[in-house]
Amino acid sequence: MSVTNLLENWSDFRHKHPVEDVPHDPYKWAMSIDMDACTGCNACSVACYAENNLPVVGKEKYAHGQAMHWIRIERYWPEDDREFPDQGAQFLPMMCQQCEAAPCETVCPVGATNHTADGLNSQIYNRCIGSRYCSANCPFKVRYFNWYDYPTTENVWPAEMVQQLNPDITLRSKGVMEKCTFCIQRIRAGERSVKNEGRILRDGEVQTACQQVCPTNAITFGNLIDPDSKVHQKWKAQRVELDVDEQVKDKEEGGSELRGYRILEELRPYPSVMYMERVRESAI
Amino acid sequence: MKDIREDIAWAKINNDVLKSLESPRKLFWVIIICALGVFGIGVGCEVYQYSTGLGVANMDNPHVWGLYIASFIFWIGMSHSGTLLSAILHLMHADWRKPIYRFAEAMTTFSLMTAGLFVAVHLGRLWQLYYALPYPNERGIWPNFQSPLLWDAMAIFTYLSSSILFLYVGMIPDLAICRDNIHTGWRKKLYTLLSLGWEGTDRLWRNFRVTYLTIACFLIPLAVSVHSIVASDFAMSQQPGWHITSFPPYFVAGALYSGCAAIITLFIILRYVFKFEEYMTLSILKKTVRLTFAISMVWTYLNLIEYATVWYSHDEVAKAVLLQKATGPYAPFWWMMNFLGSIVPLVLAFKRFQTHIPVLLTVSLLLNVGMWLERWMIVAPTFSHGYYPWTWDHDQWPSLVQWGIVFGSFGWFTLLFMVFCKVFPSVSMYEVKEMVYHRSQATKKLEATGKMATAGKGAH
Amino acid sequence: MSKRHLLALFSNFDEAEAVVKELRKISLKGFDADKDMIVKSPIEHPEVEEFLGDKPVRVQWFTLGGALTGGLLAFFLISGAQGNFFAQLKGGKPVVPFPPNFVLTYEMFILGGVYISVLGFLICAGLPARRSPLYSAKVSEDQIGILVQADETASGTLRSIFTKHQALEIQEEAGK
Repeated sequence: MSVTNLLENWSDFRHKHPVEDVPHDPYKWAMSIDMDACTGCNACSVACYAENNLPVVGKEKYAHGQAMHWIRIERYWPEDDREFPDQGAQFLPMMCQQCEAAPCETVCPVGATNHTADGLNSQIYNRCIGSRYCSANCPFKVRYFNWYDYPTTENVWPAEMVQQLNPDITLRSKGVMEKCTFCIQRIRAGERSVKNEGRILRDGEVQTACQQVCPTNAITFGNLIDPDSKVHQKWKAQRVELDVDEQVKDKEEGGSELRGYRILEELRPYPSVMYMERVRESAI
Repeated sequence: MKDIREDIAWAKINNDVLKSLESPRKLFWVIIICALGVFGIGVGCEVYQYSTGLGVANMDNPHVWGLYIASFIFWIGMSHSGTLLSAILHLMHADWRKPIYRFAEAMTTFSLMTAGLFVAVHLGRLWQLYYALPYPNERGIWPNFQSPLLWDAMAIFTYLSSSILFLYVGMIPDLAICRDNIHTGWRKKLYTLLSLGWEGTDRLWRNFRVTYLTIACFLIPLAVSVHSIVASDFAMSQQPGWHITSFPPYFVAGALYSGCAAIITLFIILRYVFKFEEYMTLSILKKTVRLTFAISMVWTYLNLIEYATVWYSHDEVAKAVLLQKATGPYAPFWWMMNFLGSIVPLVLAFKRFQTHIPVLLTVSLLLNVGMWLERWMIVAPTFSHGYYPWTWDHDQWPSLVQWGIVFGSFGWFTLLFMVFCKVFPSVSMYEVKEMVYHRSQATKKLEATGKMATAGKGAH
Repeated sequence: MSKRHLLALFSNFDEAEAVVKELRKISLKGFDADKDMIVKSPIEHPEVEEFLGDKPVRVQWFTLGGALTGGLLAFFLISGAQGNFFAQLKGGKPVVPFPPNFVLTYEMFILGGVYISVLGFLICAGLPARRSPLYSAKVSEDQIGILVQADETASGTLRSIFTKHQALEIQEEAGK
């Protein structure tokens, strides 16, 4: 019964995540993105469109800001009046940061977005009623809304492209929110296949689509609590910790020379994506 | 200035108010037809948006909220003054509220209904609206009780249903009057049904008084909580320009402000359309205007406080949003809102304008334009200049569909309100009787003690 | 022995008060001043309560009960739903977070209070009521009515009392 359940598990129901919590076990999916390696080629974005059946909205809607790119390459130009600003261009691949304490989760009126046991920020399309509060409260603005019914819109997937759609992924109807899932369909398929062998996933057995196609290996994806995983080693090398809003290394005198940082971590969403600052100056 | 005559015959009160149910001025029908037309436009736009998708409203990422949410706050805010007049002034024994509280309370109810419409219109999947209701189901799925939007739904449901009950309970004695005087047609049946067999017995009045007082006591904290919760939609979020502690009182003040301005507008219209000159007197109007002026200054103060806290808080992002409001694409609206909200009400400070009907009609409408802009300026600029630089410099303008639905909501409100005033007595007959009775008793007492000459009649 | 209703209308509260006081003093067959006398008035008038004597109003107990039930129901329903529904973390907040639950408890407290008050009003005031045997539309206009019920032999005495205090109109139930 609910009251008994409440009383018995009271302490479980009252802790705060991630600061007062045990780490996720056995998986905590996380990423590390090396911006020094990123060339801004947009292959990740294209791969994401293909893998996750993202609607191609067309020029006009794109210009309106109604694009559906779950991962986007942001371009920033230096403001130092140089002759060729392109030389200082910086690229930043931006996708859902799968925050441990996601601002979008608390505000959804119907609970369509939740924190999963493997540390992802899930989105339940069937449950979404389209209040768009999650997007309003997302500091990174990485949630994309189906402004139209794309599956029935012409030229979103031209006839010859329909065969290319990923059967593991549902198509989203109009009026629901969607966002990067860290290719959850691949993670789940991988988990199922190793379950028969009685073990958990090893590093590299699951790759996200963006990671898979990145020509410069800028994107590293993996299980953060697995000490052998690349992502764990990178986070450790950069001394970036998951459950803090200010890294210890930054508080040290003189700051840190390490490149790892998380975007807007002072807002305490505890993002699961670590970026590594660029060291070289020009883009290409 | 002429107030309600104390020696007015009670039978005349009945007659005059009952007449408003039958023969309003021609303007009434003009208003109804215009309202129908305006509402029709809104319905057309909504049908289009419903079938095509919210993209036709021209929203995008990051501008995911637009005029719908702004208008939602506007209509919720409008509802608060009905409660101010009917509940707070009731507890304060301000008897001048009595001829005008009924329509103000109706305004509360109908503007809440309009606000509720915007919640629905705003949703991407309107047809799944019931997901937000906490109904027991075999899958054990519940809405997210942490979401301020759910608090909104709960608060609005509570406020709307309590307001309807409050309006209805306060109207039972008047419905009995209608029942006793109207003997034909569907109206007779309606009033007989709704008056529940009220006969004004001592037992009824005794319980009535306590009940009315109790609900009034509940409604005041409820009204404050409702707009505080609407403010929480923003204050509970993380976004710059929204995440401000002073939002709840600021919203409540803004709500009372726009509501009072709306009461002035509707006062003037009703007074003319239903020939209530003798009951909705200029002296009552003057009190309402003074109240509005006081609230407008409270709002101005809280508004300035909000700017000041942002400015001195060293919150660079919030500061950037404020600067962008004053200089960016929204600047004309932002400055207009400050002008209409804080400068225009100064007109109301002049005695000569406090009873000047054309001036008051214009000013009250302008104030509400200002308050609507205020809500828009709370919602929109944060999206165009939030935390994330990638979202900056992307202007967005609401489409005609979006404007059309906002426009249509005014038709819907007017329609509901005007039909209400035609079907139900919009001036409370029994309370006007109480008012003149108690005033004449007080006058008699004064006469008896011989203080009449010194105290005069200007006590109210 | 059959009972009869009489309704007398008065133009002001003073006369009605005098009648009530006189009716309390005399003893008539089949007439109990506390039970068989009802004052009807067009406005809510505290003086009527004064001269009728203290009669309890119990609506506030309904209010108390309704508000407490509403509040408690809200808190346990919501916490229970949160505990049982996935018990899933949202935004790093506890599964059963207090601030939101208190907000909703507060709303339901008021909701329960208002609803049950109105229910209590209907119960305590006996609404919806059957129309009484004698009624005049004048009561909802500007006159005060006193409805008494007494043995038919007493109707003469009652009539004389009403007439003495300038009753404007006296209605009597037709004999059976």
